Amino acid sequence: MGSFEAVGVTKRFGTGPPALQDLTIRYEGSGAIGYLGPNGAGKTTTLKLLVGLLRPTRGRVSLNGADPVTDRKRALWDVGALIETPEPYPTLTVFEALETVGRARGLGTNDLDDEVDRCDDLFELPPFGQRVGTLSKGQRQRVALASALLGDPSVLLLDEPTSGLDPAERVRVRDALLRLKKDHLIFVSSHLMLEVTEVCDRLVVVNRGRVLLEDRVENVAAHFRSRRVDVEFGGPVTPESRVRLAALSASVEVVNDRRWRVSFDGSDARRADILAACQAVGPVLHFASASLQLEDAYLEVVEGGTGA
Amino acid sequence: MSTTESTVSVRAALRDRSATDVEQWWAVTSSQLAHYVRTHRFLGLLAFVGGVSVLTIAFQLYAGAPTVRIAQLNSGSEYLSNFLDYTGLWVILAAAFFGGDALSVDFSTGSGYFMLVLPVRRSILLAGRYTAASLVTLAIIGEYYLLGAAGEVYFFGLTSLPWVNLLLSLGLAVLFGLAALSVAFCLSAAFRTPAMGVLATVLVLYVGFTTLQGVVELAGVEPWFSLTYAGGAMAAVLDTDFLHYQSIPLGEDQYYTLWSASVLEGVAIMLAYVIVFVPLATYLYQRKESTG
Repeated sequence: MGSFEAVGVTKRFGTGPPALQDLTIRYEGSGAIGYLGPNGAGKTTTLKLLVGLLRPTRGRVSLNGADPVTDRKRALWDVGALIETPEPYPTLTVFEALETVGRARGLGTNDLDDEVDRCDDLFELPPFGQRVGTLSKGQRQRVALASALLGDPSVLLLDEPTSGLDPAERVRVRDALLRLKKDHLIFVSSHLMLEVTEVCDRLVVVNRGRVLLEDRVENVAAHFRSRRVDVEFGGPVTPESRVRLAALSASVEVVNDRRWRVSFDGSDARRADILAACQAVGPVLHFASASLQLEDAYLEVVEGGTGA
Repeated sequence: MSTTESTVSVRAALRDRSATDVEQWWAVTSSQLAHYVRTHRFLGLLAFVGGVSVLTIAFQLYAGAPTVRIAQLNSGSEYLSNFLDYTGLWVILAAAFFGGDALSVDFSTGSGYFMLVLPVRRSILLAGRYTAASLVTLAIIGEYYLLGAAGEVYFFGLTSLPWVNLLLSLGLAVLFGLAALSVAFCLSAAFRTPAMGVLATVLVLYVGFTTLQGVVELAGVEPWFSLTYAGGAMAAVLDTDFLHYQSIPLGEDQYYTLWSASVLEGVAIMLAYVIVFVPLATYLYQRKESTG
């Protein structure tokens, strides 16, 4: 089974702030890991470092136990990568472009044909005889995805794999990744929360070159749940009653005249204080942790800039 | 066999055996060759060199065979030496077109994200592209020499065709092509913008060397460092009255020395360019990062 790791990796371009700072991640076996962050967070830099397109300023990168810069053939042998927008020569046909990849990966003629057919089944490739230069953005992206999967490498490093695809094509890619993650190790970067959570088991949130959070997808939302409570009163309460909670460092969002949403530091003691304060306002029918959407959790992490 | 079974067998096969460097080199070469021969650059240069050659022969036909024979000292070898005088220019243009952006394309377009993520050493990628560029350059040279030989046969007859010297000149032209491509690949590895590599190749190999050569010759020094000087051996080998240098009197005790590279000298200089610039291009290419 494949593996990849980055240990204490910092990448600096020129004299500016580091594009990536002290990144440490390590995965092996199978499954899908989502690498999430806003544009410019350092996602593509990380992937480029993993495949040896960039050299770390500090730290160490390893792909299947080999250094992707000094021993790239061994490091990339069992790895399929889709970084940025790969563009085969526009004069080549779709088949010739894939043939180049297949031959470089050591596929014989029969295996190459089988593999191209498999990728065609997965992504519905454009006509094999069509020149790459005449393909639409979506068609080109599907060819790029096929080139990453050709030879069925056990590690897939995918940078925004659904970029440029229409909704139907996105579903196709999502379904393919769901199938592949059973026996492949997939590291997929995206700035789209939904895209990642539909496919991935684990989530790494990165912003401004720093990893802010790393956890299982279901734990990410759960972790934030305790920071908010929904309160439902037995009767209408005035918004002014919120002052009773001011001393508890809590902010109160008035949902309607009977319901509040209270944000606080998440501690059990403060939670008990808030319940008592609410009961002083009026009879409390319902007091429970607000179910925070993953999207909100992501925004909270990224905007807050601190790990959970 | 189902898709799943087929996939399993492919993975098993790939684990057992990885592609050799030679297989990967050939995969890169054939793909690059397929790309080159479909580009406007190749077709345009092929048409241009062919057009200029055909036009030259057409003018000679218009002048008449006797006039051509007299003008060329009644020598087929002299005819070829003059006809093939532009080989250096065509080779430099081919080197600029096919080598000037051969590597920089990986760092300025999405091509790098397609090729550089493959499990192929960069030195192998460079070797494959260098081979493909050499083959298309050879196609341009071959066309020029073929048309030159056709003109010689028409005006002087097959029996007067200087086979040995013509083949020697062709060999020198191929070596000159390899040397020019080595410089072009090196410039391509140094620059990030493809257009800069192409322009720099033409400027360095044609304008730069020619100017520098003229300057040092004025000082009476042999321009042994110049690739274009070495390239002079391609035509010189066919020249009937070859002189390594000629001192042309300019005035009282003042001479201008005109140098011509001998075959051995030309070969040595061209080989030196290949030996120096190919490793340098490889080093620069391996060091370069995809920062775009």
